Amino acid sequence: MIDAQNNIILEVKNLKQHFPIYGGLFQRVTGHIKAVDGINFFIREDEVLGLVGESGCGKTTVGRSILRLYDPTDGEIWFRRSNGERVEISKISQKEMKPLRREMRMIFQDPFSSLNPRRTVKELIGEPLVIHRVASGSALEQQVAELMRSVGLDPAYMDRYPHEFSGGQRQRIGLARTLSLKPRLIVADEPVSALDVSIQAQVLNLLSRLKEELGLTILFIAHDLSVVEHISDRIAVMYVGKIVEMAATDDVLRCPLHPYTEALVSAIPPADPDIKMERIQLQGEVPSPANPPSGCIFHPRCQYAQRVCSQEEPPLVEVEKDHFAACHFAKELKLRGIGG
Amino acid sequence: MAERAVTIPSEDAVPVYRLKVEEHESYANLVWRKFRKSPISILGGLMVLMLFSLSVFSDFFAPYDPVKLNMREGYLPPNKLHFIDAQGKFHLQPFTYAWKQVLDENMQATWVEDTSIAFPVRLFVTGWEYKLFGLIPSTLHLYGVDGYEQGGRIFLLGTDKFGRDIFARSCLAGRISLAMSLFGTFISVAVGSVLGVISGYYGGNLDTFLQRFVEFVQSFPQLPLWMALAAIIPVTWDQMAVFIAMSVIFALLSWTLLAREVRGKVLALRETDFILAAREMGASDARIIFYHLYPNCLSHIIVVLTLTIPTIILSESFLSFLGIGIQEPLVSWGVMMREAQTIQTLGFNLWIISPVFFIFVAVLGFNFLGDGLRDAADPYTIT
Repeated sequence: MIDAQNNIILEVKNLKQHFPIYGGLFQRVTGHIKAVDGINFFIREDEVLGLVGESGCGKTTVGRSILRLYDPTDGEIWFRRSNGERVEISKISQKEMKPLRREMRMIFQDPFSSLNPRRTVKELIGEPLVIHRVASGSALEQQVAELMRSVGLDPAYMDRYPHEFSGGQRQRIGLARTLSLKPRLIVADEPVSALDVSIQAQVLNLLSRLKEELGLTILFIAHDLSVVEHISDRIAVMYVGKIVEMAATDDVLRCPLHPYTEALVSAIPPADPDIKMERIQLQGEVPSPANPPSGCIFHPRCQYAQRVCSQEEPPLVEVEKDHFAACHFAKELKLRGIGG
Repeated sequence: MAERAVTIPSEDAVPVYRLKVEEHESYANLVWRKFRKSPISILGGLMVLMLFSLSVFSDFFAPYDPVKLNMREGYLPPNKLHFIDAQGKFHLQPFTYAWKQVLDENMQATWVEDTSIAFPVRLFVTGWEYKLFGLIPSTLHLYGVDGYEQGGRIFLLGTDKFGRDIFARSCLAGRISLAMSLFGTFISVAVGSVLGVISGYYGGNLDTFLQRFVEFVQSFPQLPLWMALAAIIPVTWDQMAVFIAMSVIFALLSWTLLAREVRGKVLALRETDFILAAREMGASDARIIFYHLYPNCLSHIIVVLTLTIPTIILSESFLSFLGIGIQEPLVSWGVMMREAQTIQTLGFNLWIISPVFFIFVAVLGFNFLGDGLRDAADPYTIT
């Protein structure tokens, strides 16, 4: 499905991340939460891939598995290093992973809990530099000041503690920390979800600008399609541990090929209040990742479901050029996107 | 077909955010601000400070050498401070009378004040020589009376069997009692916090094993264990070695409280995003434990520290009272209590028991201090 293009920086094949459930008197494994259940995607260099889905669909787990904060249950994660070498990182040890961590970093969601309250801003932003022995002493201070300026914070405040800053400012501190080692790939795990809407815009714009200036590739994880739309080149839609659609932003929003995407897109409020929204209300509940449905995971709630949908799982295939969908009827269905 | 019009403010220049220009508060500042709002905590702090001053500068506060034997003046009652003399005249400067023993009508010896000579109490007098901090020779003392040959004395808490000023001795005894409790607490905190953090961070079998070990240690009957361990200390050891050994023995049984508390805190902290962020950037386990987890446990550690000190003071007093551990010529509050063991001694010379007030002030002071610190140590939670 994915051709060996030279500029793919991250490629994930059949990634699975299952978490055991312990129960019973002796704490035996009684089942698994299939947070990520066999997903395939790739990100090209310098592009932003938005990974969307509702809470609990596994998108945060994807981000953490890629950065080896978990040990993947199955699958392959291929990362292309700055020297062009492709490495498979799903099974390497943490010690081998450490040098790679300079090139792939994460932005965390909660600005209040992702910064150690007992450490100053200088220590927080400078910590990656210290761990990887990049700088120390006054050189460290210089670099921290530079990083603070680049995210819009006054370096004079580097001796302050996180609790003296607002949420948006703390997220900028986290951003400075993420950029400190000049990474190439950033996994942004819902970086603006905890912020006020006006601050969201500022941080998003900052992220865009930094991406251009520093040549970053971003996996942007979010649950809000309107946020993702603004910043992403391509969008991948996740549902209960699987990717159901992946294409360029415009294609996903205007001509979705998967019924779930259609429902998501229909819920985006248009900017014109006179336009009547026709939201698709999905029937039923989101299934538990410990007990996913047979066949297509979306079939119990899908208004277009047929018998085959409950029997066979549809693979994620390229239905149109660069537009992937996991639906048996992707070609036949005429689904509605934004703008009719 | 309506166009989606989403307007987002564009920015050419990067906005530099200026914080409200407030006084920058360090963690210590925040803690102090909250601490000083509680009067009882301040009181506790003052009590502790006073005891430390009395102990460290005990020679300055002692009008008589607490170590020198003076058999002829054994068991003298405390000299009373008078402002009104036998003729009813008021003096601003307090004075004392010497004691003399007379036989009353039943041929029993009783103490009566000899009002023929009044000895005014003076401040900053010259007295016996001592070395401040063991280095600087000095003869300055806070208070004293003249007329030694005529019998002028000021034993504020009386004398013991060997004629030594009990007040002076109590101040001196504070050195051992406080130093041992500090040293023992330090060991206890060091051991307890490290084991607690390791237990909480690594979890799994290591955690289970350490917790069972903690329970094992806690189920020991303390006193018999101390007695046994103290009895093992060879009599040939010098004072310093005995001191260290006793401190270690006390620490051995008190580290478990901190281990449990720190483990609990670490279990909670382990799941926070900033610990995840530390792992994400490649921090080693050691770094996460000592650089990130430890400082966040500091409030717990400080509180347990200030509450372990009085525990050890009491334990040491108890053991020394029983004759285990600290021996003469070292003196602690517990050792001084040893003389107050028989009913006759106590009946005739009640002042022998006065070191107990020093212990009382120490324990109360540290408890108030610890309570105040517990409230103040977490300044980030808004109450």
